[in-house]
Amino acid sequence: MELNSTTFILEIINFLVLVWILKRFFYKPVLGVISRRKASIDESVAKAEQLQRNAENLQQQYDSRLADWEQERQTAQRKLAEDIQQQRERQLAVLHNDLQVEREKEQLLIQRKLENERQQIVETALLQGAQFASTIFSSLAGPELEQKLAKLLLDELEKLPAEQQDQLRSVNGGTIDEATVTSAYPLDQITRRAIEQACRGILPVSGQFRYQQDPDIIAGLRINMGSWVLAVNLQDELKGFVGLIT
Amino acid sequence: MKSGDLDANILLQLGPLALSNTVLTTWVIMIISGLIAWLVSRSLSLQPGPVQTVAEGVVSAIEAAINEVAPDHTRQLLPFIGTLWLFLIVANLSGLIPGVHSPTRDLSATSALAILVFLSTHWFGIRAQGLRDYLRHYLKPSPIMLPFHIISEMTRTIALAIRLFGNMMSLEMTALLILLVAGFLAPVPILMLHIIEALVQAYIFGMLALIFVAGGLQSQQVSQSKHQQRE
Repeated sequence: MELNSTTFILEIINFLVLVWILKRFFYKPVLGVISRRKASIDESVAKAEQLQRNAENLQQQYDSRLADWEQERQTAQRKLAEDIQQQRERQLAVLHNDLQVEREKEQLLIQRKLENERQQIVETALLQGAQFASTIFSSLAGPELEQKLAKLLLDELEKLPAEQQDQLRSVNGGTIDEATVTSAYPLDQITRRAIEQACRGILPVSGQFRYQQDPDIIAGLRINMGSWVLAVNLQDELKGFVGLIT
Repeated sequence: MKSGDLDANILLQLGPLALSNTVLTTWVIMIISGLIAWLVSRSLSLQPGPVQTVAEGVVSAIEAAINEVAPDHTRQLLPFIGTLWLFLIVANLSGLIPGVHSPTRDLSATSALAILVFLSTHWFGIRAQGLRDYLRHYLKPSPIMLPFHIISEMTRTIALAIRLFGNMMSLEMTALLILLVAGFLAPVPILMLHIIEALVQAYIFGMLALIFVAGGLQSQQVSQSKHQQRE
C-alpha cells in the first residue's frame, strides 16, 4: 500500500479525459435526444391539447348548433302545428260552407221536388177534372149549347176593341183568302151568315168560308182566319182552363 | 499470498514514469467506455432501441440523483458525477475478471479521484459564487471554525480515498484468502458480495462526491439563509 506519483497523476489525467470523452460522446448526445424527445412529446402534447381544445370548440359549436336546430325544429313544429290548425280551420270553414250550400241545395231540391209533385198532383187533378168535365160536357153538350156558344162568339166579336181589330188586319196583310169554321154539330144557314158577317166586319175575306165538323171540340166553334184562331168551344176552353191553372 | 498480488505492479518504467497495471486497466476501461459511448451516440434516435433505452435510463437516473441534491446545477455536475459513478462501477467490477487489476484497489487511483473531488468542490463553488464569497463560508458561523473547516476538508478527502481503497482491497483479499484456504468454488458467495459491495462503494463514493460538490455550490446560500433566519 504505497502511493505512486505517476499512477496518481495519470489517474487524474485519465479521469479528466474520460469525463471529456463521456461528456462529448455520451451525456451530450443522450441528453440531446432526451431533450428532442421531450420537445417532441411536448409538441405532441401541445398538439393534442390544441386538438382537444379544437374538439371541445367543435363540441361546443355542435352543441350550440344542435340547440339551434332543436329550437328551429320546435319553432318549425309550432309553425307547422299552427299552419295545420289554420288549414284545418279553413278546411272546416269551407266544409261547413259547402255543407251549408249542399244543405240549401238539398232543401231547394226537396222543395222543388215537393213543388213538382204538388204541380204534378195539381195537373193530374186538373186533367182528371178536365177529363171529368169533358165527359160531363160531352154528355150534356148538344146543338142548343153550340148555338149559345156561337151567339157568345158573335157577341165577343162585336165587342172586340178597334185597336185589336187594326192589329189583326196588319198582321194578316189587311185581308185573307179563306176562313175555316169548325163546329161539333152542323150549323144552320142563319148562324153561318151571322158568323161570316161578323168575321168580314173585322177582317175582310176574299174567298169562301169553309165549314167542317169535329166532335172533339164537344160544343162550340173554332174559326181559323189566317194566322188568327177564334175559339169558343168546350174543348179549347177546358184546355185553356187547364193551361191557365198550370 | 504475495504482497504483489495486492499491490499494483509496475509494467513499464520510463525514467521517473512508472506505468502500473492500474493505469493500464484504467486506459482499457476508458477505451471501452469511450467506444461504447461512441457506438451508442451513433445510433440515437427519437424511437429508442433497447441499448438507447438503457443509456437514457442510466443518464436519466444520474440526472435525477443530482437533481435531488443540487437542482440548480444538474447539467453542470452531470459529466463529473456521472463519469465518477460509471467509472467506479466498471473499475470496481473489473476486479472480478481473473488477471485484471481493479484500479480502485490502488490507493494512488482512489487518492487521485478523491483529490479530483476535493478540487472539483472548490472549482464549482468558486465558479458559482466567486472566490471571495466562496472562501467567506469558511469563516462562518465564526472565524474560529476556520481550522475545523480546513481539517474537515482534508480528512473527508482522505476518508474518501481510503474508504474506497480499503473496501475494495479487503474484498479482493478476502476472496483470495478463502480461495487459498477453502478451494476453487468456495469464494463464489464472496464474489457475489463483491458485486454488491462494488456497486455500493461506487454509489457511496459518487454520492459523497456529489454532496461535497453540492455543499461547495450551496455553502454561501446556506450561510445566507441561516443569517436571514437569525435576523
